[in-house]
Amino acid sequence: MSTNDPRPHDDELEPPGDDVLAGEYVLGVLDATQRREVRRRLESDPEFARRVADWEWLLGPLTAGIAPVAAPAHVWPRIRARLGWPPEGHVEEHAGWWQSVGLWRWAAGLAAAVAVAAIALNIVSHPLSTQLPPVARVVTVIAHDDGSPGWLATIDTSRGTLQTMPIPSAPDTQGRVPELWLIPPGRAPLPLGLLSTGRSLLITVPAALRRDLTTAAVLAVSLEPPGGAPNGVPTGPIIAKGMVRL
Amino acid sequence: MPHSDRIARSPDGASLEALLAQVALGSRPAFESLYQQTANKLFGVCLRVLSERAEAEDALQEVFATVWSKAGQFDAARGTAGTWLAMIARNKAIDRLRERPDPGKLAPIETAGEVEDSDPSPQQHALAGDARRRLESCLQRLDARRRALIHAAFFDGSTYEQLATRTGSPLGSIKSWIRRGLIQLRACLEQ
Repeated sequence: MSTNDPRPHDDELEPPGDDVLAGEYVLGVLDATQRREVRRRLESDPEFARRVADWEWLLGPLTAGIAPVAAPAHVWPRIRARLGWPPEGHVEEHAGWWQSVGLWRWAAGLAAAVAVAAIALNIVSHPLSTQLPPVARVVTVIAHDDGSPGWLATIDTSRGTLQTMPIPSAPDTQGRVPELWLIPPGRAPLPLGLLSTGRSLLITVPAALRRDLTTAAVLAVSLEPPGGAPNGVPTGPIIAKGMVRL
Repeated sequence: MPHSDRIARSPDGASLEALLAQVALGSRPAFESLYQQTANKLFGVCLRVLSERAEAEDALQEVFATVWSKAGQFDAARGTAGTWLAMIARNKAIDRLRERPDPGKLAPIETAGEVEDSDPSPQQHALAGDARRRLESCLQRLDARRRALIHAAFFDGSTYEQLATRTGSPLGSIKSWIRRGLIQLRACLEQ
């Protein structure tokens, strides 16, 4: 390929376009001030963030050439400490630790509930909302036996998706993970995927199961080994359930 | 559910992609497996940029704290978990490098004629996947000067100013060469 540089110096005079700036950031040639500006912009400009992600995938394979170096043994305990996890070999039922995590989760739960409400009422502005009639989405509540909500779900039957929002709770002490099931009337539970106790997840309902996603069906959550119920059948206790609302 | 059998039966044999999916759901055992499988590689990446072990250790902690909170952002449709993790490590290491009061000394770069590759282990190219081969082939199409600058920037985390000093070339020329090199690289990769 020819590499003519008819005017090698003029690029300095004009600021680069967004795509080149994103490439410069990922390549690593920007100074501290410029990097901070880019980082600020990444938080508020999704289009620019997408360009940066594109460059990361484009240049990323170069890292394959970097040789591993044994990481010192003391790094792992420091990472655990930094994440607020108890030291290894320590029993996890610790009042102080749970309290702080509980407080954080409560705040996150409040934020999640507000986000669900915003989605349900279509308050969040979205490019698509200008083309679509404003539809208030109905929220399905997946509640614990005591009636307290465990997860909220908004179902989009046209896309076959299910947006789930946890009311954050402590992870299972036995390390089990929540799995979501669709139970059509009079039939066995059908697996829909793992849920998070702390994060919102968009679940795509398998095409074969979409016709069962009706208001006659129940959404249920069971506790399963990490990775989910191995044979597509619940193996752990059902901890929450709710009638599908559309 | 894809992967579920594999993870349930053999946490340590799970792919990095499957482990990241579990980490996104808050699985601590998956996070520990991920650390065991990737810490050395990511420490290598941090050390490559920062040179000093203590700083690279701090950067590595930041990397894994970020991975714990952002694992859900990994998009397996776009590339491998290894690449995604390595780019997080490189990014954290460069941020740390930029906060140093004294940028320190870096070796001069020879941009004329055949240049020594800054990539430390060319023998690993043979092990690389398609993405790496495509990138290498496009880098080979750049002229030696642009290629050397892009390699030095990528592996050493040098700024435009540092690259100008290291090559003895005017800053404007360096910016021009790298920007054109990036544009050319993208065009080649998108063919």
